[in-house]
Amino acid sequence: MIVAGQELRDHWLGGRALGLTLALSLLLSVVSYLVATNQALNYLEQRESVNLTLQVAVAVGALLALLAAADTISGERERGTLESLLVTPISRQQLVAGKLAAALSLWIGAFAVTVPYVWYLGRGIGVVSEALAAGLVVGTLVAVFLASLGVLISSVSRSNRVSLSVSLLLLLVLFAPTQFPTSAQQGWLGDFLLRVNPLTAGEHYIGKIVVDSHAWSHDASWLLSPVLGAAVFAAAAIAAARSISLHGGSRS
Amino acid sequence: MSAVVEAHGVRKEYASLVAVEDLSFAVEAGEILGVLGPNGAGKTTAIRVLTTILSPTRGSFQVARTPHTRPAEIRKIIGVLPESAGYPEQQTGEEFLRFYGRLYGQSRASAAAVATALLAEAGLTERGHSLVTTYSRGMRQRLGLARALVNDPQVVFLDEPTLGLDPAGQRQVLALVRGLAEERGATVLLSTHLHAEVEELCTRVLILNRGRVAAEGTVSEVARMAAAPRSARVRVRAERVEDALGALVRANGVETVERADGQPGWLVVVFTSAGEESGSAALLALAEADVPVLAFELEGARLSDAFLAMTGAG
Repeated sequence: MIVAGQELRDHWLGGRALGLTLALSLLLSVVSYLVATNQALNYLEQRESVNLTLQVAVAVGALLALLAAADTISGERERGTLESLLVTPISRQQLVAGKLAAALSLWIGAFAVTVPYVWYLGRGIGVVSEALAAGLVVGTLVAVFLASLGVLISSVSRSNRVSLSVSLLLLLVLFAPTQFPTSAQQGWLGDFLLRVNPLTAGEHYIGKIVVDSHAWSHDASWLLSPVLGAAVFAAAAIAAARSISLHGGSRS
Repeated sequence: MSAVVEAHGVRKEYASLVAVEDLSFAVEAGEILGVLGPNGAGKTTAIRVLTTILSPTRGSFQVARTPHTRPAEIRKIIGVLPESAGYPEQQTGEEFLRFYGRLYGQSRASAAAVATALLAEAGLTERGHSLVTTYSRGMRQRLGLARALVNDPQVVFLDEPTLGLDPAGQRQVLALVRGLAEERGATVLLSTHLHAEVEELCTRVLILNRGRVAAEGTVSEVARMAAAPRSARVRVRAERVEDALGALVRANGVETVERADGQPGWLVVVFTSAGEESGSAALLALAEADVPVLAFELEGARLSDAFLAMTGAG
């Protein structure tokens, strides 16, 4: 809790998280403006507009959590502050858990910023509360998954630059299936790739709830990989904390 | 008195590199142990093992009767100022100390009170509410020392606390270190390159070379151990100076003899090798020449001479 509190202050009072959240707010403003007014885009059905905005918010919010997480341990290592933390009585697991929790606050901030946009785009069709609930659940699972991945990478990286580069590369790999042509997303292999990837599976699930008005239980199998990804990677990040070393790599 | 820090045959290796080998020593309560050694001698690795950052490959140690197999308990009773410690960019000195106090389980109020007291002790009260990034290097080191004391530790490990400081900054830090032992009764392990300060400050010295203990003991013991006197001053009657010069020149182990400038009757004898035997041979030669010796002083060896002799540095 103490580590998380300090990290939250660093993120939010230090201004970095506020700046990133403001940038997300500007991005959502542009997206909302275009889908609501642009002649080329406003053919979108209202539910699709809400879905598009939520998908952007989940993707960017999770990205922010990943960026914050990728700095956690390698950042301390690079600033020369890790050794002082490691000689205190708090365990390495407590240290990582606190930093992970603080990194997730960037997703929470991103979600809070998204609420008014979803409300504005979805007003009058009874989709707002369900869309926000689906976005919160899926976004939180994806953010936990990505932030845990970022912490894992940060724990073993010798420099912050390596940690951030590898994290972003993996994020691109995870996003890649969304850019496949529609034909490639069909068939058993396309379906498998979409389902096994927590990011694509989560976004697909949001679409089923928001656009197709499916019940939460109807496509629950799409939540399997986000839930497993979040649980397994969070547990791995905490477990791997035992091996955190001063210089990166495995503990010696 | 029982040892507060005790190490037995500690070895630390990284893959094929042995950083510390057979490290054994003991320090008692209130002592300041100076840890000396050339760069790469294993000082920092030894401190990291003793502060539980690294696990020993072999051997054992205990800190205040807590065995190394219980690192979490050791961390509660030690204070550490690591080499080249970094500081957060967005905290004031007071916030920094409060945060660490909380990590040691102190309540908010207690951590705030400890932070205020430590800022005063480190001479940083007026800058306590300034960002640490605005501190000079000397102020940061004093803040780091204060941080090492937030849990009122029984043992304090300081790795090169004066590195990069100007002489005034070094004096301020060393004064704080002295206070740790004298006023707080803490045991201090001080890794440094400042031999003069070690001679003045430390009760014991440990010299490491290539990961091994090259010497250990009090400052004077270590100085004598490796850099036994190589010269002496002899006083004879002024009218017997020529006889003394003749006798000493012929004595075994004497390299040169000359009159001391401006001191009638005093001679300076330089021996060919270190050791008290050379002094005895010189005295014997004077006795055989029937020259009465009024005074005989072996020149005191310095710690830096011992260091150079034992480490082959310089």
